[in-house]
Amino acid sequence: MNWKREVQLLETRRQFFGRGAKGLSAAALAGLLNGDAAAVPTGGLPGVPHYAAKAKRVIWLHQSGGPSQLDLFDYKPQLKKFHGSELPGSIRMGQRITGMTSGQASFPCASSIFKFEQAGKAGIWMSELIPHHKKIADEICVIKSVHTDAINHDPAITFIQSGSQQPGRPSIGSWVSYGLGSETQELPAFVVLLSQQNSVNADQPLFSRLWGAGFLPSRYQGVRLRSGKDPVLYLADPAGIEREGRREMLDALQALNKMREEAYHDPEIDTRIQQYEMAYKMQASVPELTDLSKEPASTFALYGEDARKPGTYAANCLLARRLVERGVRFVQLYHKGWDQHNNLPRDLALQCKASDQGAAALVLDLKQRGMLDDTLVVWGGEFGRTVYCQGRLTETDYGRDHHPRNFCMWMAGGGVKRGFQLGETDDYSYNIVSDPVHIHDIQATLLHCLGVDHTKLTYKFQGRWFRLTDVHGNVVRPLLA
Amino acid sequence: MLPLAGLSVLHAADPKGIDFNRDIRPILSDNCFTCHGPDESKRMAGVRLDTKEGALAALTPGKPETSRIYLRIAHTDPKRRMPPPSASRTLTAQQIGLIQKWISSGADWKMHWAYEKPVRPEPPVTKTPKWIRNPIDSFVLARLEQENLAPSAEADRVTLLRRLSFDLTGLPPALPEIDAFLKDKSPMAYEKQVDRLLASPHYGERMAMPWLDLARYADTHGFHIDSHRDMWPWRDWVIRAFNSNMPFDRFTVEQLAGDLLPNATLDQKIASGFNRNHMINYEGGAIPEEYLVEYVADRAETTSTVWMAMTMACARCHDHKYDPIKQKDYYRMFAFFNGVKEKGLDGRDGNADPFLRLPSGEQQKRVDELSAKIKAREAELAEDKIKPAQEQWEKQRLALLDYTAPAGLREGLIAQYEMDGTVADHSGNYRHGQTLRGEPGTILTSVGKATLFNTPSHVSLGKVDLGGEYTVAAWLVQGHHEPQTIFEQPGKLSVWWDASEPLPHLRRGAHLHVEIPGQHLRTRDRLVQTEQYHVAILHSQAGGITIRINGQAVPVVREADSSVKGSEPGVFAIGRETDTETRNGFRGRIADLRLYRRVLGESEIKHLAVDHRLPHMLTVPVKQRPKELTQRLREHYLGSIAPAETQAAWTDLRQLREQKAILDDAIPNTMVMFEMDKPRDTFVLGRGDYRNHGEKVSPNVPAVLPPLAASTKPDRLALARWLVDPQHPLTARVAVNRYWQNYFGIGLVKSSENFGTQGDPPSHPELLDWLATEFQRTGWDVKAMQRLIVTSATYRQSSKATPALIERDPENRLLARMSRFRLSAELVRDNALAVSGLLNGKIGGQSTYPYQPPGIWEEISRGEIFSAQIYKESQGEDLYRRGMYWFWKRTAPPASLSTFDAPDREKCVARRSVTNTPLQALVLMNDPAFVEASRVLAQSVLREAGADNSKRLTLAFRKVTGRTPDAKESKVLGELAAKQLARYMRDAKSAEALLAIGRAPVDEKLAPAALAAWTNVATVLLNMDEAITKE
Repeated sequence: MNWKREVQLLETRRQFFGRGAKGLSAAALAGLLNGDAAAVPTGGLPGVPHYAAKAKRVIWLHQSGGPSQLDLFDYKPQLKKFHGSELPGSIRMGQRITGMTSGQASFPCASSIFKFEQAGKAGIWMSELIPHHKKIADEICVIKSVHTDAINHDPAITFIQSGSQQPGRPSIGSWVSYGLGSETQELPAFVVLLSQQNSVNADQPLFSRLWGAGFLPSRYQGVRLRSGKDPVLYLADPAGIEREGRREMLDALQALNKMREEAYHDPEIDTRIQQYEMAYKMQASVPELTDLSKEPASTFALYGEDARKPGTYAANCLLARRLVERGVRFVQLYHKGWDQHNNLPRDLALQCKASDQGAAALVLDLKQRGMLDDTLVVWGGEFGRTVYCQGRLTETDYGRDHHPRNFCMWMAGGGVKRGFQLGETDDYSYNIVSDPVHIHDIQATLLHCLGVDHTKLTYKFQGRWFRLTDVHGNVVRPLLA
Repeated sequence: MLPLAGLSVLHAADPKGIDFNRDIRPILSDNCFTCHGPDESKRMAGVRLDTKEGALAALTPGKPETSRIYLRIAHTDPKRRMPPPSASRTLTAQQIGLIQKWISSGADWKMHWAYEKPVRPEPPVTKTPKWIRNPIDSFVLARLEQENLAPSAEADRVTLLRRLSFDLTGLPPALPEIDAFLKDKSPMAYEKQVDRLLASPHYGERMAMPWLDLARYADTHGFHIDSHRDMWPWRDWVIRAFNSNMPFDRFTVEQLAGDLLPNATLDQKIASGFNRNHMINYEGGAIPEEYLVEYVADRAETTSTVWMAMTMACARCHDHKYDPIKQKDYYRMFAFFNGVKEKGLDGRDGNADPFLRLPSGEQQKRVDELSAKIKAREAELAEDKIKPAQEQWEKQRLALLDYTAPAGLREGLIAQYEMDGTVADHSGNYRHGQTLRGEPGTILTSVGKATLFNTPSHVSLGKVDLGGEYTVAAWLVQGHHEPQTIFEQPGKLSVWWDASEPLPHLRRGAHLHVEIPGQHLRTRDRLVQTEQYHVAILHSQAGGITIRINGQAVPVVREADSSVKGSEPGVFAIGRETDTETRNGFRGRIADLRLYRRVLGESEIKHLAVDHRLPHMLTVPVKQRPKELTQRLREHYLGSIAPAETQAAWTDLRQLREQKAILDDAIPNTMVMFEMDKPRDTFVLGRGDYRNHGEKVSPNVPAVLPPLAASTKPDRLALARWLVDPQHPLTARVAVNRYWQNYFGIGLVKSSENFGTQGDPPSHPELLDWLATEFQRTGWDVKAMQRLIVTSATYRQSSKATPALIERDPENRLLARMSRFRLSAELVRDNALAVSGLLNGKIGGQSTYPYQPPGIWEEISRGEIFSAQIYKESQGEDLYRRGMYWFWKRTAPPASLSTFDAPDREKCVARRSVTNTPLQALVLMNDPAFVEASRVLAQSVLREAGADNSKRLTLAFRKVTGRTPDAKESKVLGELAAKQLARYMRDAKSAEALLAIGRAPVDEKLAPAALAAWTNVATVLLNMDEAITKE
């Protein structure tokens, strides 16, 4: 931890505490947002982290829909010669495919029409669609051999976010906040940001289960931070109630609750009194958090002008940085619109235009603030896309179906190697030829970076000790710094 | 820390020494069974500790020092000590001590308590029998006496009635009800209240609420698109069943197998919908078999949890690690539910097969009438009657074709855009347009190429001079529900769609508006979103605007005001530059856009809308025509060409069909169980995966439980009857434990979802068994069981506690007081509505849409063509229905209910968490629903209590809590009221703004400043811990 960052953090925290904190010490606020007065100050489990953590917090940039690895990171120059020819049976090997293309008479290969270049010391291949990513090539670690079990959106997103294809399990963010608690008493430990669609193809729904707490107590569920007047639901006072008037009401309420507490001695009443104070403070601190107007011009030069528009991916990337600065443990960002079944060249370009700069800026920004060392950034979708074309194939146009057998993700920051790539796929980007990394391995590795042994972060439900990685998952050692 | 403390309470001061099921089995189960338990494939070193034989082989009773099990758990070498380091489990010194003590005392072994049939115990003898009101109290008191604790005094009457009302109806008592109870001096005064509340129609609602969590009831399908379904007829059946006090055995059989009962009634079939409440998928590309397996698995698992508190799901992939359930047992259970006539992917248009239509008598009559008329008209227009004539016409028409438009159609044409993805002008005037915003794409439609605008767009066509008489014509598809501009020329013309609204058959539609200076028209009917129309706007100097849709003049409505003020016309554009609240840029499709500087005649418009495409249609040989084209031609023939009487018959048929469609939509339907003639084969699935078929199995129950009756066919009906057989060890215990949980917050078995070896042992095992056998003895009389519990002295205790008692027993497992806990999410809201007088007490029916901040659904949903993607607030009284009727969208459950721990209803939930968070404070202080309730409460207080502040205060306080405030409380509130009044006297604008919140009318007779001040006083009252807590 460097001193410069310490000072910055203190500064931001002071802004949070600034107004209206009278009478409540930081310690008294402990665990308030977890809704648990009895919790230890950070609200995590005793004994967790299990070992020294490299990362203290996570920003997960989920690219919902399934970005095409073939058009972004998994460069296949040999495919040019196979463009339009049938995917060999020896490659496909009868693997299951979705109901959308299983009826197709043929499976012609579609080579990417985009130009690729190598970037950074490790020579990571990147396509022309993501020019800003080239600037972070020396910071990120690209995994080209991620694979998943699911073949459609709902089970695949549910799988990557909760370790199970079927609903009912806690999300990864809620596992982390359950295990590690919060670094801050002023904001929820687990915050969710949804990016509005910028492109033409944003028809993938999301589900609140993706940030739900499953069978964990509901206090661990992600809190959605929305763009607009009420970033947190019902945050703003109703029209016609000013701050001083609200304070008067609260003072009366707290006095009445205190009297009840004296008669009943129920500790829940005391907790409630503190929660109301916390809510009052959040009404000041959350708008301060989401107000980007005081960010210097250099911020917008870095993230792009889009970042001034609330709800865009760039604005949310910036917000993610502000959240982790204030001690939020897990920021889960969703960016819809990566499901290019057809018109891929046009739509993928739009999608990248809307997201390339924000993601790269976030990494650079964390780095310049000295926070990349202990913040883990994860980028990726729920699966990849097929080498064979879905629908019409021309020299300039094609579409791709869902492909679970290999796709690309990247990680950057706390605990993982920088300027590194792992895994190889065959010439068709259809099968993994080296270093397969399963979704459960990604999850295990993420927890490992946080100092958590994924086999030991468990919760007993219906008599069974559940964990994020079910009974699977291995830490991907070659990724670790 | 709390749960541990709770457990230690149960262990403390037990005079009887070690109890195997309470003290030893949990240690073995939690720490050893994974490798030394029921799962054969994982058993290590041949040691098995989940059976008596197995355990005795590993120990010597009376001699821990020579017992292998003790030696290994107490080993000093960490490498040899059990559990091994790899297991991530360690035994505490206390646990090792308990095992040592257990072996020393003879290693008594008992079957896991829950698998043995409950035996009715005699209520124990106690030292202070005077306190006892019914046998429940004997068991509770005996335990308290063991612990040297005394029960608390009875709660005061106000608290008691408020508690009882919430528990039996979910609603607070009204003041006259409290007053009547306070006045009633008869010895049975309390019991009279119990009987009154048990007879209330709201009793059924209250009992249904936890059942809906168990049954994973919701109003949407849950997976992916998450569109709507209708299961409310089933939900209403549950309410009726409780209200009519249906015995629990019947309640069970009808829900699990009502469809299989001989001569099943409509109600019994509706009841069987219990096991259709699971999530259903129709994601494009999903594999049907995969989801069929998920549906059946959900039924088997939910049924096991609900009736047996058995964690069946743990045996889906392998033998159960802790309980004696084989993987094969799982698939035998699965097989009971694997015969439903259903599809793997279904539910796109509402309910999934099989479902039942439930027309009222009146509706059925109307359906019959319409069907008969439709049949008659269809006969008139039968294929053999129409086809020859149409063929003849086609032949004639084809001979006349010259493939060119009438020459006149180019006359006055000042711009023509084919809209083939470009905005090139083909009129010869070269007025090429320019896309300023949006990403136009090309799409091939049934009328040729069209330009597709997926995002709000703006295309400038430059300074076109339309002149005084003009025509604007194009093929249009409305692509989004928000209001949007189609064409706009400032100072001249504005053509737009208003916000689209739901139409029958899951469609949406909007009115088309046309504004010119001094005139504003809109179509009377809504045009269906996503459907393609030919739209022509004609302006003549004499008659103003005419709108023609698909060539026909359509009925219009004249609007009061036009926003277009006459001035020098600006640039003609498609869509607009910026989005505002009232109008967005264009989203949708446009083809063949034409601008004329003259009014086109009727035949010309028809030509553009129909004939213009006709040559292309007719030249396709009959055999090669796609269905859509064949239909288009037939409709064109019937609608415009055929003899007049045929045309009339066709028009009539179309109207009849539309009427029937609307009627069909209004007829409720509900999903039910319905067996296929031949059920699907069931196989053990390797690792639970639908692709790995193993051994074929037939329906049967787990071997550890009593067998199915030998003579019956092993189907769902047999399973249901087996569950409620008096020999079954679990069903009655599980049911009474859930009732207990409703009243005391925690069941006698805390893990109410798991009675297996990993579950919590019962706090009062004899009481649990007594209640279970009592339930069976009374013929599963549900109301009698509720009555028994709420009339016990245990229930009637005060919930006040001393700090010492809180420390001793924080979770109140010993019951030396009544439990005190927050109301459930729905009741927090119901209470505010009830005390303010806003509550609409209507029972059952379609779910409703109370206030919710905008965007909660829309930000995550798929939008547009599917149902339940756009939240449409209810109107009027429906805003104030009880929380349990809030439309439950699984991927975005009711926002404020979620904050108060309501589940998403994706899976069966037996216990909700009860949290206490700042987000809840924000809901209660700021949610318009609560602000409005406060204001309406304040209105009634100001009206009823007159001008006296202390009277107002007392009344408001009583309405919320039932009791009179004490002096200190009055002082706090009195001061608040005065301060707030002063604020609003100074600031009338703020008062007005506050009072404007909510749709309930403001009482204009009341002074706004006073009403605003008292609104805030009411908010404070509704936010009191006491107000949202059952004391």
